[in-house]
Amino acid sequence: MVSVQSPPDRRELPYARVLLLPALVMAAATGAAAALVAEPARAAVGWCGAVATLLVVATTAEAVRRGRALRDLRAEHRRRTAYLERRIAAHDEEMERLADEIMPHAVYRVQCGNSPGEVMHRLGEIHPSCDELPEAQLSLLGTVLDIVDREEAKRDAAQRSFVNIARRVQAIVHQQANELQEMEEDHGRNPEVFDDLLRIDHGTALIGRLADSISVLGGGRPSRNWPEPVPLFSVLRGAMSRILEYRRIELHSIAQVNIDGNSVEPIIHAAAELLDNATRYSPPQTKVHVTAVEVQTGVAIEIEDAGAGLIPEARARAEGMLERAMNGGDVGDLGESPRLGLAVVGRLCTTYKMQVSLRASAYGGVRAVLVVPSAMTTDEPASSFAHGIGATASPRADLGALEGPKRTPKKRRPTSPRITAPLSLEDDVREVTEWTAGGLPQRRSRVKVPLSQRIAEQTAIERAEREGRPTVWSAPRPEPEPEPDKEPEPGLWVEAFMNGLKGNPDPAALTQPTTEPARVEADDEGDLK
Amino acid sequence: MIPPQRRRRPAGPEEDPPPEPCGKNPQRLYVLTGAADHGERAELDLVTLIVARADPPAAAQPEQAAVLRLCANPLSVAELSAYLNLPYSVVTVLLTELLTAGLVQARAPIVRQALPDRSLLEAVMHGLQRL
Repeated sequence: MVSVQSPPDRRELPYARVLLLPALVMAAATGAAAALVAEPARAAVGWCGAVATLLVVATTAEAVRRGRALRDLRAEHRRRTAYLERRIAAHDEEMERLADEIMPHAVYRVQCGNSPGEVMHRLGEIHPSCDELPEAQLSLLGTVLDIVDREEAKRDAAQRSFVNIARRVQAIVHQQANELQEMEEDHGRNPEVFDDLLRIDHGTALIGRLADSISVLGGGRPSRNWPEPVPLFSVLRGAMSRILEYRRIELHSIAQVNIDGNSVEPIIHAAAELLDNATRYSPPQTKVHVTAVEVQTGVAIEIEDAGAGLIPEARARAEGMLERAMNGGDVGDLGESPRLGLAVVGRLCTTYKMQVSLRASAYGGVRAVLVVPSAMTTDEPASSFAHGIGATASPRADLGALEGPKRTPKKRRPTSPRITAPLSLEDDVREVTEWTAGGLPQRRSRVKVPLSQRIAEQTAIERAEREGRPTVWSAPRPEPEPEPDKEPEPGLWVEAFMNGLKGNPDPAALTQPTTEPARVEADDEGDLK
Repeated sequence: MIPPQRRRRPAGPEEDPPPEPCGKNPQRLYVLTGAADHGERAELDLVTLIVARADPPAAAQPEQAAVLRLCANPLSVAELSAYLNLPYSVVTVLLTELLTAGLVQARAPIVRQALPDRSLLEAVMHGLQRL
């Protein structure tokens, strides 16, 4: 405490001592004056002097009293000033603490998922001094936390809706992919249709990857689930099948590792994004080489391109993007022309504890290394090595998944192999049953009834006719039942009409019942080759 | 600093639907045919017989290696397609690549109808001799 008081000795000075000097001086002056003046005036001067002395003493006393009061007041004032300055300093300190420590931590807690009320309740954990925060600051803190909470909730809702929309797209894409696969199997014999189907399939896979990326950035889980372990080779091919320029990818020695079914999707997605980057930022005529080797911590997938490489600035930017994504970046951070790839990879790596690094490649381009932890691999045998060889897995029923569009199962018109006429696989040996005496084959009549029996029947009928008995021929043929006026199914006449137009009238078209699985021309597809 | 205690909101029922189960294999068929230019296929029929002429090279795709292993003895395209569980069009693309590389040989099937029946020929011969 700063001492602002006067030294105590001055204060202790008694009034008598202070008044003594002027009183003595005045008394001496009065005495001197009385001594000097003439006799008759001495009494008057003495009186005056006494009065003056008294007045001086009184004045002095008053002056001294006032001076002391003034001094006290000044001291009091200094004390108050010091007290107020202390208060102000303490306030400053408090505000600084609120701004620098309490508020950020409280906001952080709210952002991490605690409710504002809970955070306010447990302020003491942030800083012990928080318990005696003034009301106003508490209410300010409360208001700020409420606002932050509301904004967080809004952002969450926005992200959830993003994810939800992405899920719907994914559901449709999966459905379409499944149907395309069926169609590819159905039309496998017709190369033209098949190639077109493959192109549609490829486009669908690209859409699916975009939807997956949005879902990952929105914090969603992977949308697909493989029920059984998948070999790493197939996983990488799955990644290839989701990028535009998959033809430029070359898989070299891939470690014979099986990936756990639940971990397949994130690896496919991360690898697809890295492959996409590699093909996108390298000349179109170059290849992208992929190898996978087992390392201490798991499997390292290396993706090397022959592009221009990363200048240090670009590399810093890329790594910064990865870093930010790993620390839980926001969809809003992506900016106006989002480059989703690295952000998605960073997110996936954080979620699934994979590691990714970008280095300079021996080819002069970029070498991206994705380290898959050994926890994602499995020792269980995979169902298949390459596509479909020995595959027996069936999709796992998983209730509650977002469903794709409901469609009735398509009535397949498989372009199954119809054996064309010159390629009969049956033994088409001509039926030779009799030989003439000369050794030449004798064709038999197609009628199976022996001639002798037919002659005998004929004679029997003739005899019966002569005798007037009813014969097979004379018996009245029962009138055929008038057929119920069968309305042809709607649409059939159109088909017949079209057949007529095409110049190959199909006589069976009208009478053919609809149980026939496919129209005749449906089979034409398979015979183009 | 004490780490945050709980997750943000209790997950609602609509949040994060479980992953959708899907097929067994993540690779699509166009990855298999992708290396070849589209529309170029060798003239192969379902019954064309394929014979391997060499062991599978180290750099071969697994499908091509499987084809070469299976075709140690002549095998028709249809059978290959069935064993590999791949559509005919994919198998022809694979075989076209192998044919180009000279790793397999294709042999057209012998059509029975193209050859006259042996007994008929004998009968004609006998008849001519009798003349």
